[in-house]
Amino acid sequence: MSVHRVKQRSGRDAARAAAFYDLDGTLAGLNLVNAAIYLLGNLGEWNGRLRYLAGLVVRIPALYRAEQHDRHLLNVVLFEVFKGVSRDRLVTLGEEYCDRMLMKHLYPQAVEMIEANRSAGLEPVLVTGSPDFIVEPLATRLGIKEFAANRLIYSRGHATGRLREPVMAGDHKAAWCVAYARANRLELEACWGYADSYYDLPFLAGLGHPVAVNPDRRLSATARSRQWPIIRFAKAAEGRTLAGMDRTAVEAWVERRLNGAARS
Amino acid sequence: MARPEAKLRELKPAELRHEVGARRDLVVTLNRRSEPRLIAYGDDFMLEKLPAGTRVIYPPPPLESLPDPDTAIRYALLHPLNADPLFAQLNPNMRVTIAIDDISLPLPPMRRPDLRERLLNQVLQTLADYGVDDVHLVIATALHRRMTESEIRRMVGERAFKDFWPDRLYNFDGENRAELVMLGKTDHNEEVWLSRRAAESDLLIYLNINLVPMDGGHKSVAVGLAPYQSLRHHHNPATLRECHSYMDPARSALHTSANRMGRLVNQQLNVFSIETAVNNQMYGGMLDFLHKNEDRFSDWDRMRLKGFRWTLGSVSHQLRREMLNRYAAPYGMTGVWAGETETVHRQALGRVFQQYSVPVKGQSDVLILGVPFICPYNVNSIMNPVLVQCTGLGYLFNMFRNKPLVKPGGTVIICHPLRDEFHPEHHPSYIEFFHRCLAETTDAMELEKRFEAEFARNPTYIHMYRYGHAYHGVHPFYMWYWGEPARQHCGRVIAAGCEEPEVAARLGWEAADTLDEAIAMATSALGRSATITYLHLPPLVIADVE
Repeated sequence: MSVHRVKQRSGRDAARAAAFYDLDGTLAGLNLVNAAIYLLGNLGEWNGRLRYLAGLVVRIPALYRAEQHDRHLLNVVLFEVFKGVSRDRLVTLGEEYCDRMLMKHLYPQAVEMIEANRSAGLEPVLVTGSPDFIVEPLATRLGIKEFAANRLIYSRGHATGRLREPVMAGDHKAAWCVAYARANRLELEACWGYADSYYDLPFLAGLGHPVAVNPDRRLSATARSRQWPIIRFAKAAEGRTLAGMDRTAVEAWVERRLNGAARS
Repeated sequence: MARPEAKLRELKPAELRHEVGARRDLVVTLNRRSEPRLIAYGDDFMLEKLPAGTRVIYPPPPLESLPDPDTAIRYALLHPLNADPLFAQLNPNMRVTIAIDDISLPLPPMRRPDLRERLLNQVLQTLADYGVDDVHLVIATALHRRMTESEIRRMVGERAFKDFWPDRLYNFDGENRAELVMLGKTDHNEEVWLSRRAAESDLLIYLNINLVPMDGGHKSVAVGLAPYQSLRHHHNPATLRECHSYMDPARSALHTSANRMGRLVNQQLNVFSIETAVNNQMYGGMLDFLHKNEDRFSDWDRMRLKGFRWTLGSVSHQLRREMLNRYAAPYGMTGVWAGETETVHRQALGRVFQQYSVPVKGQSDVLILGVPFICPYNVNSIMNPVLVQCTGLGYLFNMFRNKPLVKPGGTVIICHPLRDEFHPEHHPSYIEFFHRCLAETTDAMELEKRFEAEFARNPTYIHMYRYGHAYHGVHPFYMWYWGEPARQHCGRVIAAGCEEPEVAARLGWEAADTLDEAIAMATSALGRSATITYLHLPPLVIADVE
């Protein structure tokens, strides 16, 4: 029997591509609220901490409503609690949070996936609603050069509690990926995207290869109906986390993981 | 006059070709008064009146199963072929690995106790009696999906499961580099990679089920415990084009390559093969009418058929699939042999051919195949279009020895609804293969050249294979290559009863709403002189085409 005629791509056969990763819930088993509690709970004097934490508590109803309806609004409401905190302090706490919490709660299989994708020619890019002072140290440890994160507006060295546009949530994540791909001459059709939440649907749908990671109920149903791959990253076993590792240690760890562990 | 079944019991493998008379009534030529024929149609059945003159090939009746399988297994272990008995090879300090065929065999999965449970219980008891403690059980999945805990439990039985799961009973992982070792290269420069645990064992025992003649032999170890690095040497379009057919291992380049690799394995490892053969008692009890010639249906058979079709027609296709997936076949064991791989396999092959072989005179212009709801790669899953292609053109087309049932340039009619549906957790790479690769080309050589390596190394698909329950990223390519001999041989393929014509078009097939329409399309050029053969499945049959 005859076969279809082969359609050749014009120009280079292999398109340049990237892998876009959401962070909270996708690469790590934490979310924005965990970060906010950690940062506010370590701000300095007890009275300061209590004031900020109380600010967070009174916003809980608003946060809940926002979580139900609009991820953009959730980010706006949540970041208001940082009003008045100095930029230096946030940067220091961001480093500390990354080392103590984020690295500890990173899914080992997610780190493996980033490295394996990198080896397959997919440059990693983080696209997350977490603040830049947390994401930057993490990106350094994971060897990720490009990231899009939420950025606070500062006035005379102190956070105003407002976010710079674009706020990294929902449609804006997708728009950022399109702009990034255009600027870097990537083909979105050839790019991969990893996210865990239904709110990331526009972000995932804009990419050629969307993957649902530990998806919530709604994303899971969508992924099934759209025939997207669903993958599950497992938590690190106690005592086998990446906590405290720098880039060199992470590289060595990944190398060991990718070479596999023989059964005894 | 003796019934054909009685004669079949007397058949010996070597004499099969001289016993044509015993199976003469399995090839039926229809006339105008013939009853409509049942044709597998995905998760349903068609009941179609076929044109007068159509030749229908029926499967032989089931061989009688062994009355006491456990005793037969014990006998085989004590009287192996061309090897020392199992107990004589054991000492307490040795390391033993038992590799087991995975869920792809038999189809549908058999009623409990599964043959592998029976084999395992005997083997494990022997090992325990001789004080062998360092024992691992590896499910020989190669690049198939990992079996789930419940599937493994059902297959190996409670005893082995309780004692070995999960530390010493697990699925093979073809992507765990630390668990793989290269044994060497064959004289055809084929790299032979194998499970490290198996390679470093003092004794490797393989437990096999031969459902069809392409199973077993060196294919068990050299394929079942091998990663992509090995499989790519024979699972490729060039090799598969040289297979005439997969069901005739002596004339299959795939088997020749696997044999070369297997012999290299056996030179370095102490392999003790245990092979079994099953009869074709695929459907029993209330469904045993599926094995019968429709012209001989009794009123009771007709009533059951009506009830069966009414039940299938009254539920959604998801529920229908679920009901069919839960069906367990009452297969019986017709033989068990142990010992040296090739000697054992010769015996098993003889029994398998004895079960399935039907002498048939000549090829036809049109071959009708009904693709059922199940194939080796969708147990407890969905039969997607790529698997329909593999089952129709790969497996069912190859149910022959000597010559294909259809003439060169002839037409194959595949009866299946062909829905664009996939299981995203079991077959993720199939989805991309179907929507992206097949949209660009259906040429197997081109697919191999342009896309295979990308899919084989894709980290997401590797992750889903290793940690989820997905087939390996490269698996849809193998399914496509599997249909390559048929694509080379046939002039056209028509999907009859196709619900989504664009799916047929993506596979390079034509679509017809009904079987009548498909037959009219297939015979339009030849007119009334066109010859038609319908291979009546289930259960299975292999045509020895003269």
